[in-house]
Amino acid sequence: MAREVCFAVDAPGGRLEIVKNISLELPAGQSLAIVGASGSGKTTLLGLLAGLERATSGEIWLAGQRLGDLDEDQRARLRRARVGFVFQSFHLLPSLTALENVMLALEIGRSDNPRAQALSALERVGLNHRLDHYPRQLSGGEQQRVAIARAFAGSPDILFADEPTGNLDRKTGEAVADLLFELNRDHGTALVLVTHDPRLAERCDRIATIDDGHLSGDASPSPSEQSDPSAARQAAGA
Amino acid sequence: MKSAGLSGRLLLRQGRSGALWMLIAGLAVATAALSAVSLFTDRVGRALERQASEVLAADVVISDRAPLPEHIEARARELGLATSEMITLSTVVFSDDESALFDVKAVSEGYPLRGALKIADGIGRPDRTTDTIPAPGRAWIAASGLRALEIEPGASVILGERELVVEQVLTWEPDQGDGPFALSPRLLVNYSELEGSSLLGAGSRARYRLLVAGDERAVTRFVSSTRPELEGRQQLQTVENAEAQTDEALEQARRFLAVAALTAAILAAVAVLLAATRFSRAQRDLIATLKVFGAQGGEIMRAIVLLLAWLVLLATALGAAVGVVAQHLIAGILSAQMTIALPGLRLQPLAGSMAFTALMAAGFALPPLLGLRSVPPMRILNRSLDPGTAGRRALWGLPILAALAIPVWQLGDFRLALLMLGGSAALAGLLALAAWAAMHLTRRLAGRASGAWRFGLAGLSRRRGASVLQVTALGLGLMSLLLLMVVRGELIEQWRASLPADTPDHFMLNIQPDQAEPLRRDLEELQVGQLQIRPMAIARLTAISGDIPPEDAFTGQVRLSWIDQLPPANEIIAGQFWAPDGKGQISVAKRWADRVGVKLGDRMTFDSGGREFTAVVTSIRNVDWNSFNVNFFLLLTPDAGEFLPHQFVASFHLPPDKAPELDRLARTLPNASLLDVGALIERVFQIIDQVSRAAQVVFAFTLIAGLVVLLAALEATRDERRVESALIRTLGADNATVRNGLLVEYAIMAVIAAALATLGSAVTGWILAEELFQFRYQPGIGLFIGGFTAAALLVVGAGWLGNRSVLKTPPVRILRAG
Repeated sequence: MAREVCFAVDAPGGRLEIVKNISLELPAGQSLAIVGASGSGKTTLLGLLAGLERATSGEIWLAGQRLGDLDEDQRARLRRARVGFVFQSFHLLPSLTALENVMLALEIGRSDNPRAQALSALERVGLNHRLDHYPRQLSGGEQQRVAIARAFAGSPDILFADEPTGNLDRKTGEAVADLLFELNRDHGTALVLVTHDPRLAERCDRIATIDDGHLSGDASPSPSEQSDPSAARQAAGA
Repeated sequence: MKSAGLSGRLLLRQGRSGALWMLIAGLAVATAALSAVSLFTDRVGRALERQASEVLAADVVISDRAPLPEHIEARARELGLATSEMITLSTVVFSDDESALFDVKAVSEGYPLRGALKIADGIGRPDRTTDTIPAPGRAWIAASGLRALEIEPGASVILGERELVVEQVLTWEPDQGDGPFALSPRLLVNYSELEGSSLLGAGSRARYRLLVAGDERAVTRFVSSTRPELEGRQQLQTVENAEAQTDEALEQARRFLAVAALTAAILAAVAVLLAATRFSRAQRDLIATLKVFGAQGGEIMRAIVLLLAWLVLLATALGAAVGVVAQHLIAGILSAQMTIALPGLRLQPLAGSMAFTALMAAGFALPPLLGLRSVPPMRILNRSLDPGTAGRRALWGLPILAALAIPVWQLGDFRLALLMLGGSAALAGLLALAAWAAMHLTRRLAGRASGAWRFGLAGLSRRRGASVLQVTALGLGLMSLLLLMVVRGELIEQWRASLPADTPDHFMLNIQPDQAEPLRRDLEELQVGQLQIRPMAIARLTAISGDIPPEDAFTGQVRLSWIDQLPPANEIIAGQFWAPDGKGQISVAKRWADRVGVKLGDRMTFDSGGREFTAVVTSIRNVDWNSFNVNFFLLLTPDAGEFLPHQFVASFHLPPDKAPELDRLARTLPNASLLDVGALIERVFQIIDQVSRAAQVVFAFTLIAGLVVLLAALEATRDERRVESALIRTLGADNATVRNGLLVEYAIMAVIAAALATLGSAVTGWILAEELFQFRYQPGIGLFIGGFTAAALLVVGAGWLGNRSVLKTPPVRILRAG
C-alpha cells in the first residue's frame, strides 16, 4: 500500500518532482498494471514500491512492513524473503549459466536447497534443456524466461515487473506474458507490472495510469479495504 | 547468502574481464620488482658489511699501546669466538747493504680472521691467496720494501736482534691500515718474532691488537661486556665504526637498482589504481543485481575484502616467486666478476615487498571496490545512478603512504626515494595539468571540426576526467619505457666516458723533496698524462678549536698536503679557496669534516715532529675519489705546509708502450714506491658494465609495469567507447568515421603523453646522472626524435589494437549487452 507518496530529486533547473502524492493498494494475488508515457514516473514508482528507492515523503507498506522504518539492509532482507523481479533487459549475470543465475537469487534468499528449487523453476518455464547455457547463448525470450524462473523460484508474495516484454518481439512477448500470468495465478502472487503495452496492461486485474507523476485510473481497492491498513497488510500477504 | 565466500566466487567469476588480470598483473609486478631488488640489495648490503669487517681483518679489534689484559681474550674464547693477536710498530729493517723504515706487523695463527692475505713468489709474479702466516724465522715483505732494501726474495733481513729470511712478496692484506698511501713498506712476521723482543722495550711505539670474530650474537655480547671495561688508551673498533672502504661502484650499483625498483613500484601502483577503478566500475551491475535480490551491504563488503585478499595473496605469491628467480639472475650477472662474494639468500625482504603490495592494494584498490557497497539497487532500473566515492578516498592515503615507506626503508636511501617519489608526483601533476589544458582546447575545437575529427575531439572532451587520467598514466608509462630503452643506454655510455681514457693509473710514493723536480722532468719526457706531483706530510691532530679531537680512525695521524690552487676533481661547497689573506688556512674534504665534526672557522692544531702549528678552516670541499687523482682530506695553504718534513706523491697516466722506461726510471729512485692502479680502474669499468647488465633485469620489471599501465590506461574507457561507437554506427556513421575518430582521439592523447614523457625522461636522466654518477647527462637527439615518435606510435598502436573489437562487433550486440 502506498499513501501520499512523493519523490523528488535536485536537478540543474531546481527541484524536480517525479512522483506526486500517489496512493494505491494491491491485495494478495491481484495484478496491477501501471501505464504511462515515457518519463511519466512509472519506473520510479515501481522502484519506490519495491523498496529500491526511498520516498521523499508519504508511506509505503510492503508485505506488512513500513518501508520508511527500514534501513537499506532491512529492506534487502525483506526483498529476498518476499519479493521477485523481472526486468525489461533481463539482468542476468553474463558469467553465470541459466541454472546458476536462478540459484544465485535463491542463495541470496538463504534457500535450503537452491539447486533443486532452481531446477524445478527452470523446468516450469520449459528451459530444463538449457541449464548450462550462458545468457549470450540464449535468445531474448529464453533469457526472459530464465529471469521469470529466477523471480518465481523463491515463491515471492509480490512480483515487480518492469516492461517484461519490452525487449521482445510480439510473439515471444505474448508467450512470456502467458507464462508470467500463469505463474502469477498458480503461486497466488501479487503482481505490479509497468508497461507501455496496452494489451499486456489489459490482462491485469486493474490498470493505473501515471501522468506527470500523478496517478489516475482504478488504482484503489474497495472502500472498506482503503480505510483499514491492517486489512491492506493482510491483503498484501503480511 | 550463506557466506561471503560465495560472493567472492561470484565476483571472481564475474571478473574474468581483462581488468581483473590487469589488477593481478599490477600487484604481481610491484611485488616482483621490489622483491628482486630488495633481496639482491640485502645480499649486497651484507657483503659490504663483511667487506668492512675485512678492513679490520676481524669483527672487533681491541687495541692499546701496552699488552692487552688476558681476560679479554679469555672472554672471547668462552663465547666461542675466534681470536688472533697482533703487534705493529715502525722500525728500521736492515739488509746487507741498505736499511729502511718499515711498518712491521707480527701476527699469530688465525690472522686474518676476516679476509685473506695474498702473496707472490717475486715482484711481478702472479699472486695467490693464502690462509697461512709467515713461519718463525721467515718474513713476507711488500714489493716497495724489496726495492728499498735492494734485495730479492730469499735474502735475509735483520729485525731487531732477529735475522729473518724473506720468503714471499706480500701483495694484499685486508687491514692495510694506511692503504696504498702508507709511507713505509710492510714487513709481516710471526708473532713470536716480536714477543719479548727488545724492540718492544720502553719508549717503543708498538701497538698491541686483539682480533675477534665469530657468530654475530656472540660478537654483540662480547662488545657489550668489554666496552665498559676499557681504560686508558684502550680502543674498541667494530665494523660499524671502522673506516669502511665502501666500494663506491658497488654502492652506485645498489642505488641504480633501487631507482629501477622504485620506478617499477610507482608504475605498478598506478597500474593497480587504474585496474582497480575499471574493475570496480565493471562490478556495479552485479552489485545492483545482488542488492535487488536481497544481498546486504555487509555481505557485499565482506565479499569484496575477501576477493581483494585472494587477489593480493595470488599476486604476491606469484610476484615473490618471480622476484626470487630474478634476483638470482641479477646476482648471477653481477657476481661473475665481482670482487666480493655475495652471501646466501635471506627471505626477510620478501615480507616487506609483500606488505608493500598488500598496502598498495588497500590504498588503491579497496576504496573503489568498497565504493561499490553504496551502489543503489535502483541502478538496475536507472543506470545513471552511481555512488559518489570521492569523499571517502582521502581516508585511504594512509596505506598508500605506508606502502611507499616500505621501498624507501628497504632500499635504504631516503633522499633518493624522496627525489623519485617527488619527481613522479611532479611529473604526474604536470601531465594532468597539460592534459587538462589540452582537453579544454579540444572542447573548443570539436565545435569547429567535422567528421572523424569532430567525433574524436568530442570523445576526448566528453570523457575529460578519464582522458586526463589516461594521459597522466600513459605519460608515466611511456616515461619509464623511454628511461629504460633510450636514457639508460645513454647514461651508461656517458658514465663510461666520464672516466677519461687518460685517468691516472700509476702512483709513485716516498719521493724525496730533492727528487721531485727531476722526476717531473723525466715523467714529462715519458709523455705521461694527468701528471700531478704533490707534497705530503704526516702530522698528529691535537686540537679542534681548543678541544681534543674525537678518537676516530680519521684523526690521530693525518696526511696533509698544500697547494695554492684548487686541484682537479675537487669542488668547493662552502667557504673560499683560499680566503684573501692567504695564510695559515686549511681546506677540509666534506666526508672528513662530517665524520670528525669540523666546520668553517674552526682552528685545527697539529703536531709534526714536536712542532705545533694551527690553521683555520676556510673551505669545505667535495672530492671525487673515483677520479684516481692524488687527493687529500686536508689541504693547507703553502705557507702552513712548506716548513713540515715531507715527501712527494705523484700520480699520472702511463702510455701503454712506456712501461719499460718507467721501470728503468723507478730503479733510479730506490726509496720511492711505484703503484700500478690500472687494474683497479679496469675493475671500475667492469662494475659499470655489470651494473648496466644487472639493471636490465630490474628494468625489465619497470618495462612490464610500464606496459601494464599503458594497457590499463587504454582499457579504462574501452567499454564506454564500445557503446558510443556502436551507437554512432547505428545512427549511420560508417566504419571509417568511427575508426578515424578513434585514431584522432588516441593520436591527441599520444602526442601529449609522449611529449611530456620525453621531457620527463630527459629530466629524470639528468637528475639520475647528477645524483648517482656525478656527471652531467646530455639527452641525445635520439631521445627527442626517436623516443618521442616511438612512444606516440606505441600509444596509437596499442589503442588501436585494443579497440579493434569496437569496430568488429555488430553494434546491436554491443547495445543489447549495454
